[in-house]
Amino acid sequence: MIELQAAVSGALNGSLYALMALGLSLAWGFLKVINLAHFAMILLAGYLTFELATSTGLSPIATIVVTAPLMFLVGALIQLGYERFDVSELNSLLISYGLLIITVQVVTNIWTADFQRLPSEINPFSAESLAVGSLRFPMPTLLAAGFAVVLVVAAALVLGRTYAGRALQAFGQDREIASAFGIDHRLLGVLLAGAAGASAAVAGMLFPIGGTLTPDLPFEWIGLVFAIVILGGIGNVTGTLYAGLLVGATSGLVAVIWTPSTSPFVVFSLVVLALVFRPKGLFPQKGG
Amino acid sequence: MSRRASILALVTAIALTIAACGGDTGTTTTAGDEGTTTAAPGTTASPDTTAAPSTTAEGSGDPIVVGGTLSLTGAFAATGAIHKVAGEMFIERLNAAGGLLGREVQWNLLDDESDTANIAPLYEQLISQDQVDLIMGPYATPNILAAMPVAERYGYTLPQHTAVLAPLMTYACQFPGWSIGPEPNSFIPNQIADALDSLDGAVSTVALLTNESGSTAFISYGVADDPDDPSTLNILPERGYEIVADIPYPPGYEDWGSTAAQVRDANADLVLVNGLGVEANSLIDAMQQLDYTPPMMFALFPAPGPLLGLGDAAQGTLSVSIFEPNEPILEQMDPEVREIVDEFAERAAAEEIPYTVFETQAAASWNAWEILAQGVEGAGSTDGQGICDSLHSTGAELTFSGAVTFDPAVNNFWDTTEGLKQIQGSEWVMVWPEDIAAGALAGPTG
Repeated sequence: MIELQAAVSGALNGSLYALMALGLSLAWGFLKVINLAHFAMILLAGYLTFELATSTGLSPIATIVVTAPLMFLVGALIQLGYERFDVSELNSLLISYGLLIITVQVVTNIWTADFQRLPSEINPFSAESLAVGSLRFPMPTLLAAGFAVVLVVAAALVLGRTYAGRALQAFGQDREIASAFGIDHRLLGVLLAGAAGASAAVAGMLFPIGGTLTPDLPFEWIGLVFAIVILGGIGNVTGTLYAGLLVGATSGLVAVIWTPSTSPFVVFSLVVLALVFRPKGLFPQKGG
Repeated sequence: MSRRASILALVTAIALTIAACGGDTGTTTTAGDEGTTTAAPGTTASPDTTAAPSTTAEGSGDPIVVGGTLSLTGAFAATGAIHKVAGEMFIERLNAAGGLLGREVQWNLLDDESDTANIAPLYEQLISQDQVDLIMGPYATPNILAAMPVAERYGYTLPQHTAVLAPLMTYACQFPGWSIGPEPNSFIPNQIADALDSLDGAVSTVALLTNESGSTAFISYGVADDPDDPSTLNILPERGYEIVADIPYPPGYEDWGSTAAQVRDANADLVLVNGLGVEANSLIDAMQQLDYTPPMMFALFPAPGPLLGLGDAAQGTLSVSIFEPNEPILEQMDPEVREIVDEFAERAAAEEIPYTVFETQAAASWNAWEILAQGVEGAGSTDGQGICDSLHSTGAELTFSGAVTFDPAVNNFWDTTEGLKQIQGSEWVMVWPEDIAAGALAGPTG
């Protein structure tokens, strides 16, 4: 029973990481941008959620009305910058790493490096769970799973069933050919980057609901989130969700069967094996 | 895909290297009796080119410059800020009372950015370039360990606030401001067992969780290659407490849901978290989500404020402390202690430090500064070896820890005054040992 509970808790936790990985995977897959600034946006959204909720008494979930449009704008502006200066895939990694470092420092200066935590009066979710029999589904990560499913389904529908989505896929596969067919890749790229930014806002909102904020959190996220992006398949939105659930459940199971310290060994061994044997990820898309 | 992965691996490595090699970007401030001002590097001439500690004549009128680093930015900044305020307060009071050897004291404080790689170069700079007269250790055990060889190389005495891993602190002229005795891996589990013994059998089983970083793992498991070394894992069973779960976890661990399930399943009377920061908070949250509240908890080195912020969920949680400003304790101490505690609260609030209580961290900082000041006065100079010898021969009289002596045979770790504190109501209350307690130890609930 404990193994089942651990797998459930781990999978739900993994869905939060999948949510964080979603925007990163989309930008990498379709725009050829490895955007570490995505972690900066998640961090910033987390602190804005904290600030808005504590200063106004709003539910942290409601703050998304402010943070999602804001992060859409930030994501779009960063993409405009990449387009304006014709930044390569490699350089995007370096530039966005710089943006991440700057953001961490700004957040530290504004909110201090100390731990910040939403008070329980405005964040009842932190101690709540949904009971199904003897299983418990912790509310913060259950919310994360809900948002992850909604965003992944929406992204999959947009990518698979709309002109914009198909245009993005064409652009992701061959920029020159796509442009020759009249696809406005700049506008689509900016919109996609904005959407990725909005998804960062959702992930950022969920973090203070479930835990404690510190400015250096992105450096704890990066390894696991990249593992999920790689295992899910770069640009594969449903694969990202599956990979998040798989990594989370595996991590949880390993933690109780062996020790929590063994989890990173197992997860990153999976990544290495995937890179060797399934370089397009564990969940390849049709025709991908 | 594989090309991308290669790019990612390569450039991430480069980026991390760039970050690690950031070098000396620390900001320099000097805290004197005029408050914090722009850097004024020490003007005292060093007698030789090897930058040995200055022995400038007494009463020369030149300020005595103390060099040191603190983590003013980065991961340790929250605690670094506590040490900065405590240090500034101490120096202001010292200068108001005439300084050291009749000379004003200035603090040349650099920001080590919470990066251990910055520590040695910054202390090299302070000693060989800025030619400071004295040094004060940084915050956090890894940083102190990095500063120690530099101090030893130049013959400077190194007072330090918080490194409690006594076996590693081998430099004869390092002096701890916080001591858990020469064997903290024995003292802490024995003190916990002593406290549990007083509860008349209410606790018999323990779930042990351990952050695998140096100091916490040392308390749980002793030295890595010696299973018989004193440790929580060995001592508690010897004292009659069954360890029903032993769960090590890596630094930065986030998957508390599965661990909470494991702890719930163990159903121990005491959940003993030899962890850091907000790890105990995360575990309590995760256990609450499973509708589980352990009868009793212990957190080794937690951030004190956030645990109090958990309210009822953290009631009764135990931790270690060398000082808590509880009213019964303040009433027994010199009135100056209350002044220090009150002033610290005001200044910490002004600096926007979330937890403004003058407790273990600030007391350890104060101790370290007192050790330095008394060493200088005892030596009658700023000579590093002279200060070291003076402290070895006469010890120090510490406001928050009483009279202490320093024995190089045990790396100068003095007889500890450390006790256990417990969350009771909205504050941490000193509860053990009984002779220094401000309140009674509350037993397990439920």
